[in-house]
Amino acid sequence: MFSTASRTLEITVISGEDIRNKRKPVKKNVFAVIRTDSQPLCRTETDKDGGSYPYWNEKHNVDIPVHARFITVEVQCKTSVGDKTLGMATIPVSDFVGGFVPQSYLHFLSYRLRDSNGERNGIINVSVKAKVPEYAASSCSSATTIGVPFGKTSCYGGVVPGVPVGVPIMKQYYQG
Amino acid sequence: MGNCFSDVQGGKQAVGGVQQRTTATNNNNRGHNDAVEFFYRSRGLQQLFTQVELSLSAFNLRDRDIISKSDPMAVVYVKKIDGKLEELGRTEVILNSLNPTWIEKVTVAFQFEIVQPLVFHVYDVDTKYHNIPVKTLKLEDQDFLGEATCVLSEVLTKQNRSLTLNLHSKIGHVALRNLGVLTIHAEETVASRRVVEMILHCSYLDNKDIFSKSNPFLRISRIVESGGSIPICKTEVVNDNLNPTWKPLCLSMQQFGSKDNPLIIECFDFNSSGKHSLIGKLQKSVADLEKLHEGRSGANLTITSHHGHKKVLKGELFVDQFCEKEQYSFLDYVSCGFELNFMVAVDFTASNGNPRNPDSLHYIDPSGQLNSYQKAIMEVGEVIQFYDSDRRFPAWGFGGKTFDGTISHCFNLNGSAGSFEVEGVEGIMSAYASALHNVTLAGPTLFGQVIKTAAQIASQSVSYNSKKYFVLLIITDGVLTDLQETKDALVKASDLPLSILIVGVGSADFGQMEVLDADKGQRLESSTDRVATRDIVQFVPMRDVHGGQISVVQALLEELPGQFLTYMRCRDIKPRPLHEAQASGT
Repeated sequence: MFSTASRTLEITVISGEDIRNKRKPVKKNVFAVIRTDSQPLCRTETDKDGGSYPYWNEKHNVDIPVHARFITVEVQCKTSVGDKTLGMATIPVSDFVGGFVPQSYLHFLSYRLRDSNGERNGIINVSVKAKVPEYAASSCSSATTIGVPFGKTSCYGGVVPGVPVGVPIMKQYYQG
Repeated sequence: MGNCFSDVQGGKQAVGGVQQRTTATNNNNRGHNDAVEFFYRSRGLQQLFTQVELSLSAFNLRDRDIISKSDPMAVVYVKKIDGKLEELGRTEVILNSLNPTWIEKVTVAFQFEIVQPLVFHVYDVDTKYHNIPVKTLKLEDQDFLGEATCVLSEVLTKQNRSLTLNLHSKIGHVALRNLGVLTIHAEETVASRRVVEMILHCSYLDNKDIFSKSNPFLRISRIVESGGSIPICKTEVVNDNLNPTWKPLCLSMQQFGSKDNPLIIECFDFNSSGKHSLIGKLQKSVADLEKLHEGRSGANLTITSHHGHKKVLKGELFVDQFCEKEQYSFLDYVSCGFELNFMVAVDFTASNGNPRNPDSLHYIDPSGQLNSYQKAIMEVGEVIQFYDSDRRFPAWGFGGKTFDGTISHCFNLNGSAGSFEVEGVEGIMSAYASALHNVTLAGPTLFGQVIKTAAQIASQSVSYNSKKYFVLLIITDGVLTDLQETKDALVKASDLPLSILIVGVGSADFGQMEVLDADKGQRLESSTDRVATRDIVQFVPMRDVHGGQISVVQALLEELPGQFLTYMRCRDIKPRPLHEAQASGT
């Protein structure tokens, strides 16, 4: 692994909304695959019961090339004849790298899925946090001393390391 | 379910107490304990209010007795819009003390969206009234010791939630003599923020479907005094399963009343016709459910037969997880130093009319009556200013031709090229009035640039790990030209500590604004297929209701604490210092 040529991401695949199979709500066995340049990086467990509102909330650490401009999320379901892709979303890397927020800012992102014909097919919710590249971390040995202050009487209100547990899902907009 | 032909997914969703969090396949056991939980509230669920207890103490009161010291009592009022005082409560009488610490608390409901002025009167109760309950005391018969006034949010935003005020005479004269000081301490009642998180599952449910298994869901109701029951939540529907495990429930104390209140738990088989079949039910309190969890035992469901007999079923309800905790509230954050930073953007397009004409929306009335823009700034600003310690507010205009002759869609209201901040709400008002003389109204109406500028400020504040949440007020009279660019900017901003309030003035058609307000529309989507993560926009048209007691701006502001909490909770931002054990655990 060439650490200087890749960027480590912490991706949590949270949930999907209103996923359909040929315009009908999918009933079960939905999972998601994260890709870059057609190469799969990780996939979620299968949500057997969530139907067209699958919920995974799985965190994965993946490496993508530094020059990669986007990553792809594919929502698929298991069928009797194999895995079928229901929808796909493209996540520009610029949505979670760059800008004015810190590099390690925890982004909560949602995207419209498109099926193979380009038709809209539900929404995918993820959270992404970029990790500091290895070469930067190794050259800044003092980084290990930076941490959460302990024992302070003042209130600590910054963004603290923690496990993202999801975002509110606006399910009321898909009342049947 | 085999005969189902319509889309029923919406009806299968959980309502009222259900949240998203880790599943069994996720190895986040330690993260679960540290993560801040929050619960999803559907539109129909009423906004919960927060009760605040006021504790009072005084120091250096005037000595009104010749033979002995004063016997002080405090009375708390809220000042209404018409200026009248409504009594909220009284303390007990403390005998022979010039430095009383009262025990009796006065309870007041905190409403974020309005300014709540409080008035405190301190009396010396005459000796002959000492054996009379304080409620029956006539205040005119007592010696008045002093008065103090403040706003409730002033107390709540203090670090230790205490505010000390000088007592002054009722007439308002600056007395030469010191009348003493009064200290008000505010505490949110613990019961109002306690939540219980449970994972429920059932085993061996009766099958209600002929050709497939049941599709069970639970409904939990609270029994009311009249004998009926009020539903407080329902789970999602689990398809084709007689041993379902539902996603976690998170119920607040306000939903079930008290841990000993009996609740009715009903298990239904979902039918797309809307007539759900009752599989079974049982009656348990939250304390009972806790015992089931501790004992790892189940409780049998029952069903009433046609003859009125109660039949015990084979199906059982189990509590896989029971966790009681305090959920950090909005007041926890603001008393811990978190701030709401106010920002304003004013529409300077020509559709407002020439400011010199009395029928212009920007007309400055010489008599001092406020125009719609001034009203919106004042009504929002006077509430929000208490949550910003430095009270320096960014203020912009858009759609006007500025001093150098170019049309700007984000210019500094104070006329400065460098700084966009003004001092206080009065600073916004004077910068606005001054800009009307220096800026020519132009057009068109674009929101995108002011939203991007506000979002950039919010982004930069995250870099400093600050405790700031930004509130941008956009006041406009017209129809957007850059609807898609505005949507794109809003979608990007939904990931930042920012909320946007839009007030529509005048009589234009505000249909586009309703699209931006997620209360009435779908989730916003950008031109690149990105979808807004959360709802950050609130729109209210400012059609003046003559003599109305409820301001439209109050409706605008009341969702703000919820938006603030949504941002903080999902990022695990806590209002208290982390303990060492917790920090090492994450």
